[in-house]
Amino acid sequence: MRTAAAIAALSALLAVFPFLATAPWVMTIALFTLMYAALASAWNLVGGYAGYPSLGHAAFFGLGAYTEALWFNHHGIGAGLTPFAVLPLVGLAVAAAGLPVAWIAMRTRADVFAIVTITLLFVAQTLAYNLRGITHGAQGVAMPVPDFAPATFERPFYYAMLALLVLALLLSHAVLRSRLGLALLAIRADEDKARGVGVPVGTAKLGAFALSVGITGMAGGVWAYYLSFIYPQFAVDPLVTVAMVLMVFLGGRGTLWGPVLGAFIVAPAQQYLAYQYGASQLYLLGYAALLVLVMLVLPRGVLPTLGDRYRSRQRRARTLRADVGTGVSADTGGDIAADVAGEQP
Amino acid sequence: MSAPLLEVRGLARRFGGVAALDDCSLTVRRSTVTGLIGPNGSGKTTLFNVVTGYLRADAGQILLEGRRVARPDPARLYRRGLCRTFQQPRVFADLSVLENLLIASGRRRAALAGPRVRADDRDRAEALLAEFSLAGLADDPAEELSYGQRKLLEFAALLMSSPSLVLLDEPTAGVNPTMVRTMERHIRARHAAGTAFLVVEHDMNLVMRLCDPVVVMAGGRVIAQGPPGDVQADPLVLDAYLGG
Ligand SMILES: Nc1ncnc2c1ncn2[C@@H]1O[C@H](COP(=O)(O)OP(=O)(O)O)[C@@H](O)[C@H]1O
Ligand SMILES: [Mg+2]
Repeated sequence: MRTAAAIAALSALLAVFPFLATAPWVMTIALFTLMYAALASAWNLVGGYAGYPSLGHAAFFGLGAYTEALWFNHHGIGAGLTPFAVLPLVGLAVAAAGLPVAWIAMRTRADVFAIVTITLLFVAQTLAYNLRGITHGAQGVAMPVPDFAPATFERPFYYAMLALLVLALLLSHAVLRSRLGLALLAIRADEDKARGVGVPVGTAKLGAFALSVGITGMAGGVWAYYLSFIYPQFAVDPLVTVAMVLMVFLGGRGTLWGPVLGAFIVAPAQQYLAYQYGASQLYLLGYAALLVLVMLVLPRGVLPTLGDRYRSRQRRARTLRADVGTGVSADTGGDIAADVAGEQP
Repeated sequence: MSAPLLEVRGLARRFGGVAALDDCSLTVRRSTVTGLIGPNGSGKTTLFNVVTGYLRADAGQILLEGRRVARPDPARLYRRGLCRTFQQPRVFADLSVLENLLIASGRRRAALAGPRVRADDRDRAEALLAEFSLAGLADDPAEELSYGQRKLLEFAALLMSSPSLVLLDEPTAGVNPTMVRTMERHIRARHAAGTAFLVVEHDMNLVMRLCDPVVVMAGGRVIAQGPPGDVQADPLVLDAYLGG
């Protein structure tokens, strides 16, 4: 309940933002930030909760982008806002495409899984270049530019990304409150043990993967419409994957708000630097440096670290109170109680 | 006569040049606490791994209540009432003690879409935690438990599924004497309630007072079985222990 309220409050706040900041470049940064927050939250379902660090999610981002663009061109889904209306179908299509991939990739674990999924990414990129009949290869695919008023051109895309972020958060929240969430955490902790207590691990992993790539694909669809021109190297971009991973690790893997926090820190900085100094590859170095820093200083991410601090301070406060109350250290008292509780004959 | 709970016939499993199981056959009957003893490396844990679907057998058959299990799968076997503990206790460290029980309630796929905590599961879990004197720790992360408490928790969680046969791999190894008695008490209580056990155990005193029959393995096969007294007197068994 508190979480639902927090999601509502955040979306209300973000919904008025376009009326406070109107400069197009600010809106561009804001919409990419929301996109990355949605992408990071989606990645977290698989990489965070289930503990399967996918490096292939950009392939599904690209798949969503191409699906939206090609659909537009071949079936004339109309101009203006109607391309947004088909996004749920794009999401379902990408989720369906993710199932066989997950079925194969999720038979592997940890490092092998990372390698399998990054291979998938490069296969997808190669396909995007070479299936010229469909993707026009390196020439790229164009979508008609919508006739939104230039002054508020970004707004519809901004709200579409916001809707995706809210969807990602609500889905993550629903997963955490369902038995699927508990199953994913068990899988992350010890998948073989989970099988041994009857957890349907295959179904749980496929479900999480499908939800995750479905949202990722929808973000790709909005992105394609916004740029109205997509090239293989940007639609299927390893950097998109790297950004998702980095943001989740920074904010806190396997937490609801960590990915959003990570995206809100990294995405604006990256977009601003790109805007100021051009899209140089320098920010690659920035990503690398930040990732190393996070691993060294905050291996579990910002939110879990803060959470630990808060809990240990509370525990100290409780201990102090107990000390004053009984004259016996609650610490040792607790240990003895635990031993007796566990081991009394 | 009804079929035995578990029957394995001619199981074989090699690791490179080592025959961990070699034409291994044994039977676990209903409502028994069957002991499984044998020197280190005689294949007891490998037998558990093969029977519960963690390892493929190179040859042999597994029958559960008379029905052949063609491709053993841990999750499916669990839902059919066969479960096991691990020699090194395995609990979900970052789940709470209560959640460790909830996740083991053996519900089917469709339940994944349902609530994280079902009221009936919670009631069952809380009753078990009370029975195992872990109720005070219900909300603590399982990683905070002592080694012995983890063994208890692992055992208690399996009971969420009302198993018909529990395989325990050295349930009292490495725990203090009080905990050994606690474990024995819980096995006896569950046995009285109708659950059968196959227990790998090195504490001979415990085996002699708890288990009947006792099965002895050496070199990947069964070399003796029978009532505890007979087995203890069997020269083959003495040989295996002294020679091994
Ligand atoms: N995963 C494995 N890889 C290689 N050898 C193994 C493996 N598991 C067991 N073994 C070997 O198989 C034999 C039986 O081991 P195990 O079943 O653990 O015996 P026990 O539980 O009776 O002590 C030993 O020689 C052991 O080294
Ligand atoms: Mg063993």
